[in-house]
Amino acid sequence: MTAPRSLTLRILRSSPGEGIAPHWQDFLVEEAEGMTLFLALGEVRERLDPSLQFDFVCRAGICGSCAMLVNGKPTLACRCLTRDLDPLITLAPLPVFELIGDLSVNTGKWMRGTAERLETWIHSQEETALTAVEAPMEPALAEAIYELDRCIECGCCIAGCGTAQMRPDFVGAVGLNKIARFRLDPRDTRSDDDFYELIGDDTGVFGCMSLLGCHDVCPKGLSLQTQIAFLRRKMAVVGIK
Amino acid sequence: MTRSIEQTGLFQPDAAAPAIPGIPAAVSHPAHAARRLKKSRWPARLDLLQSASGLFLAVFLVAHMFFVSSILISRDAFYTVARFFEAGWLFGTPQPWVVSCVVGFVLAVFVGHAWLALRKFPANWRQYRAFAEHRRQLRHSDTGLWWLQLWTGFALFFLGSVHLYGMLVHPELIGPYESADRIWTGTMWPLYLLLLFAVELHGSVGLYRLALKWGWLEGRDPAASRRRLRAVKTAFSVFFVGLGLVTLLAYVQLGIAHADRAGEPYVPTAAKTARG
Amino acid sequence: MRIHYTDVLVIGGGLAGLRAAVGARRRGHDVIILSLVPPKRSHSAAAQGGMQASLGNTAMGAGDNEDVHFEDTVRGSDWGCDQQVARLFVHTAPQAVRELAAWGVPWNRIQAGPREVVMDGQRVTLTEPAAMHGLIAARDFGGTKKWRTCFVSDGTGHAMLYAVSDQAVAESIPVHERTEAIALIHDGQRCHGAIVRDLVTGELSAYVAKATCIATGGFGRIYRVSSNAVINEGIGAAIALETGVVPLGNLEAVQFHPTTIFPAGILVTEGCRGDGGLLRDAKGHRFMPDYEPEKRELASRDVVSRRMEEHIRAGHGVKTRFGEHLWLDITLLGKAHIDGRLREVKEICQHFLGIDPARDMIPVRPAQHYSMGGIRTDAAGHARGLAGLFACGEAACWDLHGFNRLGGNSVAETVVAGMIVGEKMADFVESDAGDLHVSTALVREFLEREQAKLDTLLHGNGSESAAELTRRMQDIMTEKVGIFRRGDLLESAVTELRQLLEKSRHIGIATRRPGSNPELVAAYRVQKMLKLALCVAHGALTRTESRGAHYREDYPARDDANWLKRTLATWHGDDTLPTLAWEDLDVAAMELPPGWRGYGARNAIEHPATAIRADEINAIRKAFGHADRYTLQHALMPFDHLLPERYRGRNERPGDDTP
Ligand SMILES: Cc1cc2nc3c(=O)[nH]c(=O)nc-3n(C[C@H](O)[C@H](O)[C@H](O)COP(=O)(O)OP(=O)(O)OC[C@H]3O[C@@H](n4cnc5c(N)ncnc54)[C@H](O)[C@@H]3O)c2cc1C
Ligand code: HEM
Ligand code: HEM
Ligand code: SF4
Ligand code: F3S
Ligand code: FES
Repeated sequence: MTAPRSLTLRILRSSPGEGIAPHWQDFLVEEAEGMTLFLALGEVRERLDPSLQFDFVCRAGICGSCAMLVNGKPTLACRCLTRDLDPLITLAPLPVFELIGDLSVNTGKWMRGTAERLETWIHSQEETALTAVEAPMEPALAEAIYELDRCIECGCCIAGCGTAQMRPDFVGAVGLNKIARFRLDPRDTRSDDDFYELIGDDTGVFGCMSLLGCHDVCPKGLSLQTQIAFLRRKMAVVGIK
Repeated sequence: MTRSIEQTGLFQPDAAAPAIPGIPAAVSHPAHAARRLKKSRWPARLDLLQSASGLFLAVFLVAHMFFVSSILISRDAFYTVARFFEAGWLFGTPQPWVVSCVVGFVLAVFVGHAWLALRKFPANWRQYRAFAEHRRQLRHSDTGLWWLQLWTGFALFFLGSVHLYGMLVHPELIGPYESADRIWTGTMWPLYLLLLFAVELHGSVGLYRLALKWGWLEGRDPAASRRRLRAVKTAFSVFFVGLGLVTLLAYVQLGIAHADRAGEPYVPTAAKTARG
Repeated sequence: MRIHYTDVLVIGGGLAGLRAAVGARRRGHDVIILSLVPPKRSHSAAAQGGMQASLGNTAMGAGDNEDVHFEDTVRGSDWGCDQQVARLFVHTAPQAVRELAAWGVPWNRIQAGPREVVMDGQRVTLTEPAAMHGLIAARDFGGTKKWRTCFVSDGTGHAMLYAVSDQAVAESIPVHERTEAIALIHDGQRCHGAIVRDLVTGELSAYVAKATCIATGGFGRIYRVSSNAVINEGIGAAIALETGVVPLGNLEAVQFHPTTIFPAGILVTEGCRGDGGLLRDAKGHRFMPDYEPEKRELASRDVVSRRMEEHIRAGHGVKTRFGEHLWLDITLLGKAHIDGRLREVKEICQHFLGIDPARDMIPVRPAQHYSMGGIRTDAAGHARGLAGLFACGEAACWDLHGFNRLGGNSVAETVVAGMIVGEKMADFVESDAGDLHVSTALVREFLEREQAKLDTLLHGNGSESAAELTRRMQDIMTEKVGIFRRGDLLESAVTELRQLLEKSRHIGIATRRPGSNPELVAAYRVQKMLKLALCVAHGALTRTESRGAHYREDYPARDDANWLKRTLATWHGDDTLPTLAWEDLDVAAMELPPGWRGYGARNAIEHPATAIRADEINAIRKAFGHADRYTLQHALMPFDHLLPERYRGRNERPGDDTP
């Protein structure tokens, strides 16, 4: 067996609350079998610096809490195996989002804002009778909706989008994907005119410059490219009607 | 000061519907009412116009490159093409102002496109820095391509304008010798060289991004078609830059050969034989 | 002093908390939700398998109804559950699924016509009738007679949580994210809200509410290895315990899952073994047939978990820096099968182990998975001991699950309990009992007390390390209060945990900053977690029988005569042990008296009332022989009065002619 590698975690530290500006700090960790960044950072916090801030919840790649820039790329830290990385690993918080400290950013606040702004819930005028047999839905349609519903609001697509860096009011791929999801859902009675009201401007779908960073970094592999193009066509039709 | 609900930023007091028991707020949500103020349709139209103008210019340029490179076939070929646009076949005698009109139209589209695209430029230093830093860090191909388009577009602003202005005011000076003299003796070749690279890269990337943007040619496997589009885009750039360089070289050679007689208009072979 | 006033305070933004909040809000009350993390990050999102509800749509679910679901649940609980609650639950679950459908959950739907499935290692063709096309589908799950588990691919919890969370946004319910309730405000009789710490600024504030609901999920993280999220530390249950008057029920009832990947503890589905996967030890030897010659890898969940631990204890585990594990070998299933049916397992293996399960074996070890116990409530979700305090979801011991919960019954419980408790809280707020009589002096007292505790940690001169104590606690729990329990081990666990609790009063921390300070958080949490750990260990030590997931090597039989009762743990002041009391389950009122669970040895020691009740039931059945099932059920054990009005209607099913 070869000796375990020694990893350097180069972390962008900061504490806006205390007025500590961002600076890099290195931590040395010995690599272990199957080590993920979740485990490595846990070790740093336990052994080297108990004040280090980061957000892990599920540590299984499903909750979207732990997105950060790993060697400059937005990704879910919990599912990064250190063995796939060089021994020098740089970690930085996601840009765009409000910085809480070190690797922790407030994606939740951003996402709630998006949900309110885009009204990301089923809009329906009828009260459903809960005891009645549910309305049927085509199995393929249900699966197609789920494909779009799989977004975990991790914020990688925002951090990977140049437009979002320049224009903080841009809804980003996560927002556009949500509109696509509700548009596809027959239980939502909103029309394209309604959706145009939400995303029919340069902070919405027309602000997207097709950089496709979102598509390429989305950890859930959502078809953001296709969805945004699709919405653009639909919204353009509303625009010339 | 009490850190109230409002200050958490998650809760907008004016968005809180007065609770109507039994009626879901989803139905009585005030946002619905407010939304009835209809949103402008212009963002959609401007986006379409931006794409349409870009597409027009790109298609125009493909044709233009073939016209200009007709010099590679023969001087007469280029001469014929140039005269063709002066619509002699329609009016009996060549009318250079027709070319001016065409140039005027292209110039208008060019300016229009630039104006529309300018909306996408970083609006200030902060935005510029943010994007530049992002691009550097992400090292992502399509983000890089946009950056390329931004810079080539910026360059075209100047290079294209100079060229178009020349064509606009001197439409009659298009011909094998006239052009070659302009390029060599008039020292326009450095400008053309830059313009060539700028416009071909800008155009090919633009077409590629246009396809992605509107979801053209997506097919059943968008990832595969994106790879394909990329290959096509690169081939497009290489072909037209190559063709342009060869053409430019031809003009330069002709320009050097014709330098001592610079200013002399070209007389087509047919006319010469007819005369002689 | 910062005080927020609201009608209803919901602590916890998982499925249970969100659904309860929406219910109360729709009744016109102001609601605030508190959550450690953005609600959509709650661990409800991790549920993959599905949600049980007896819709009876699918071919293998035909004939399903509340009665069948009820029996499965009670048997599954090893008769430890509250049968009235189980009735409430099975009745409301179909409504919950349908409500979620209306809220946008993309439930998988039935495709009419034939399809191939693997059952019991055989390829079988099922045919779904045309009339069912497009209705909500269901899959097979352990411990159920019918296929009843509604699902959204392998992301059921995610889809549910997002739909319910979006409804909370639609209702403009404020969620105060990154906040943590660290104490309840109460006067010994009435709960008035909670003291809450802002995890970003470190500020304490008081939330005063007419009704307070704890929906903080499970406490898996008192164990070293758990399938739970890292935030599942049970602080919600602990602050109820710390009131000294609210009892926690059945904390010793902890479920373990055999196959979680090692060391991360991330679940891989039972389907791996169901489809033919094998368990192997360090030498590559397939060991399960040595222990369970008949059922081998496919023995029940608790049995397999037990055998695996036994084998590791015997020294056959694979040793690594993080501890020992065994192998799950699914290479024999072939790439095509894994790519098709175990896609998710494959992805987990790729991301977390960097291996291809079609070629490599998967390192696995059983892990803590679910806490059946929690804050003891009545059928309305009202906690014992304090008026105005409610609890629901995994944090509660509503007591749907007894000593073992069925897969798919948990996310169903969260939503169903949320529906019911939301209504009950609204009723409470509207009633005289809901009026708020709280003095700000009391609020101040609580606030100052909590501030003082934090200040002691921040500025005291303690020397114990919180991280160290936490690790010790987790090790003790996993090693001594795990799958296998034995008097001597439990005894030493209790002793050690008590020492740790003592030590935890002298924690010192290096990071003095009051705001976002993970070290401080770890410090005050471990103090609370140790109390939960002691409730589990002490409860397990005292319960001298084996029931469901609670397995005592020294008392392997289920003992209904002595132990058909619920453990109630309360905590007094600076004690280092919980005070235990017991609450009898009323056999005479049971719809389904204790019997054989359907697997394992028939070694239960019978309760004297069982035979009497069984005779009674037979008599009632005879007398109502001609009546429909609703009438019969009503005669056996009425429960309608416990249901909120709006959920009382009878569930319709396609092809069901009984109205
Ligand atoms: C890997 C895994 C798979 C599972 N699969 C299934 C399945 O297929 N089917 C099934 O039925 N069940 C399954 N379960 C069980 C089920 O998912 C959970 O029991 C259920 O989701 C718990 O929901 P909850 O709302 O009670 O709690 P959670 O979803 O855990 O939410 C707890 C909430 O409380 C908040 N909170 C906690 N403490 C505090 C505090 N002190 N102050 C403020 N807020 C606090 C948290 O932020 C969080 O929002 C699974 C569990 C696991 C671990
Ligand atoms: C002053 C000159 C020009 C400037 C400043 C300019 C700038 C830009 C910019 C910044 C974009 C990106 C817009 C976006 O991402 O939304 C763009 C797109 C494009 N440009 Fe230009 N450009 C110019 C001239 C040209 C010319 C001459 C052509 C023809 C080859 C052209 C073809 C395109 C195409 C096809 C697109 C894609 C259109 C779209 O995304 O909607 N441009 N231009
Ligand atoms: C109707 C408008 C146009 C006319 C009539 C026209 C005409 C010509 C002609 C005659 C030449 C040969 C060189 C010369 O005579 O100077 C030329 C070259 C060139 N033109 Fe244009 N042009 C037009 C528009 C454009 C535009 C919009 C662009 C891009 C912004 C462009 C880019 C070029 C380039 C790059 C060359 C050099 C070609 C080479 O290297 O082979 N032209 N054009
Ligand atoms: S779209 Fe993808 S990258 Fe964006 S938030 Fe959702 S899961 Fe994350
Ligand atoms: S990266 Fe941004 S610009 Fe559009 S395609 Fe994606 S949202
Ligand atoms: S911790 Fe949940 S996705 Fe990484």
